Amino acid sequence: MIELIEKIEGEAKLNFSFKNKKIDFVDIEFASSRHIENILKGKNPLDALVINPRICGICGHAHLIATVQALENCYENIEISQKAKIVRELTLNFEIIQNHFKWIYLTLFPLLGFKQNIKGATYPSQLMSKAIATVGGQYPHNSYAIVGGIVSEISSTDLIKMENYLDEVIKFYQDTVINANVDDFLVCENIEKILSATGDLPKILNTLKNQKIAKEGKSFDRFISFGDNSYFKSGRGVKTKINHNINVKYVNEHPNQNSYAKNVKFKNYYYEVGALSRAMINKTPLIKDSHRRYQDSIFSRILARICEIPQLLIHSKKIISQIDLQEPSYIKPTIDISNIKGTGVGIVEAARGSLIHKVSINENTIKDYQIITPTQWNLSNGNKDDLGISQKAMVGLEDTQLAQIVFKSFDVCSVCTTH
Amino acid sequence: MKLLWLNLLSCNGNVHSFLNYPHIEKFLEDFSFIYHPILETSYSLQDIVSQNIDCDILLLDGTLEDGHTKADVDIKTIIEKYGIKAKKIITVGTCASFGGIFLNDEDTKYGLHFRQKLEHNRYKKLKNKTINISGCPIHPEILVNTLYSIKKEYELKLDQYLRPKEFYATTVHNGCTRNEYFEYKIDNHKFGNLEGCMFYDHGCQAPYTNGSCNKILWNEVNSKTRVGHPCMGCTEPTFPKNNLFETKTNMGIPQYLPLGVPKRAYLSLAGVAKAFKIERFEKKLMDN
Repeated sequence: MIELIEKIEGEAKLNFSFKNKKIDFVDIEFASSRHIENILKGKNPLDALVINPRICGICGHAHLIATVQALENCYENIEISQKAKIVRELTLNFEIIQNHFKWIYLTLFPLLGFKQNIKGATYPSQLMSKAIATVGGQYPHNSYAIVGGIVSEISSTDLIKMENYLDEVIKFYQDTVINANVDDFLVCENIEKILSATGDLPKILNTLKNQKIAKEGKSFDRFISFGDNSYFKSGRGVKTKINHNINVKYVNEHPNQNSYAKNVKFKNYYYEVGALSRAMINKTPLIKDSHRRYQDSIFSRILARICEIPQLLIHSKKIISQIDLQEPSYIKPTIDISNIKGTGVGIVEAARGSLIHKVSINENTIKDYQIITPTQWNLSNGNKDDLGISQKAMVGLEDTQLAQIVFKSFDVCSVCTTH
Repeated sequence: MKLLWLNLLSCNGNVHSFLNYPHIEKFLEDFSFIYHPILETSYSLQDIVSQNIDCDILLLDGTLEDGHTKADVDIKTIIEKYGIKAKKIITVGTCASFGGIFLNDEDTKYGLHFRQKLEHNRYKKLKNKTINISGCPIHPEILVNTLYSIKKEYELKLDQYLRPKEFYATTVHNGCTRNEYFEYKIDNHKFGNLEGCMFYDHGCQAPYTNGSCNKILWNEVNSKTRVGHPCMGCTEPTFPKNNLFETKTNMGIPQYLPLGVPKRAYLSLAGVAKAFKIERFEKKLMDN
């Protein structure tokens, strides 16, 4: 049975096969590609900073930061001011936050039988877009991070504005999502406490429990996260056993017979990426409690994502206070990029998980470019003997409607996948 | 009014830029989507391609590609079915208008009526009702106010590329906070500074790009050129050009001059401006 899955930043086809009334296998197919990697070949390396945000309209900023890091990584030595590093991390956080809100209110709500909440999605995400635009000029699609730093000078007023946007979103989160104070919420270690509270988060979690689907959607319980910064740690793990020593060289792409999207493995295994993986690797107490009771089910996956919002809001405020305005925003590289020959890797955590860019440049030209997006990890289309993460989460379910909920709990980004 | 938003080869950036329209709830009271790539609608994509649903305005978003299908139906069939019955067609963004970022050397990808600057006739019968809203992404105010103009039956004058002059008659340069550095030809812009103009060295296309980015600010707060980010010319049929962070010059003179300004006029003016050393423009704005 083939189902067209719509409104996932594009479409995908799920081809379900059944055995004894249970889903036995799911083939995941993406039907188009924009061939961005080919478009980039032959271009001036800096032009990638303009092309790549346009890979994705919802997480394009993550693509920008991954691009600039990949290009800078082609240098043996390049100096980037702490100020520029912090501002880049901030705008990336702002994008993740707005992605999460849109996912809750535009994707998750209708899946659980609620009406989309337009204000819930757009009000906080517009504030986060304003915060990005304050230093980046606009959102979506700016290229304000350039090799050597950022284009904008940053004034104290910019810091005040960003902090105020964050405070406004914190207030919205407190009033709407948790109906509690974020400081209390962030130290909460017991999922039962959340379930007995009010607000949209308890409403979502209790709906999963009432519909008896809280424990559905379990995958291999394998997590990976590469993009370490001042908040996220890199590492991989099976269940709660985490190894922080990972190397991107073991990540490999495999072509896919039925789909334009390539599969992605670390060594020989598929891993889940995204907010749940980050929380398991960061050992966030509330998510660990949820994992103890519900493992890597849709319950934990959804909770992890919604909990990441206040973590990033509060952390962003903290790093704003660390910015030294006297530092330069941009330090002109001592060697112009036109004289650089080399390869570079840029890795960031995007809303949906680890995003990897690899570039090879020579004579002021992009020779090769490879992009591995978060959805490729979660939606790798394996075979029956070697299922991908989302396939494993759907196999064994009895009905395709529930399978769709599980599928969308990974927050599929079709455009990223079909880059 | 009933709107159909159809995504072609796109990044969904226009969809998310549209969601940044500040009064979106009010907008959704005044207009209804029969289909939208993200918002809940009464019809699914399957319904749209298999049925013939009432539609007043067809919005096309993304590059058109030969043989591309949506829900297993060729996009040409869908565009013609809804294009013929719609009162107006809007190409949302530079991809649907001119082909944009995803064009390749083959002639299999294009905008609805243009492939970059070249007009083509694949959808000739729809041309007289099309409005191109270019931009990568679209500015939400421009899209929304164009839709309201259609609803209220105001006449929108269009330029040669079918863009409403209301928003595309002026250049992006208008309203840039760095204009004084341009006027007095101060050509020492450095990234990371409030001061300076990116036209001379860093590829800023604002003086010859049609758009309203510095008139109708982005996200209501800012613009690229204001922060020190060169305009990349994303509303133009030629987007994206190559070597975007560099200004191409011939004998020290920028190859592309401000829109409609003859080289002689530009050189005379530059010569006069450069003859003066104006202290205020030589130092940092915040210095004593």
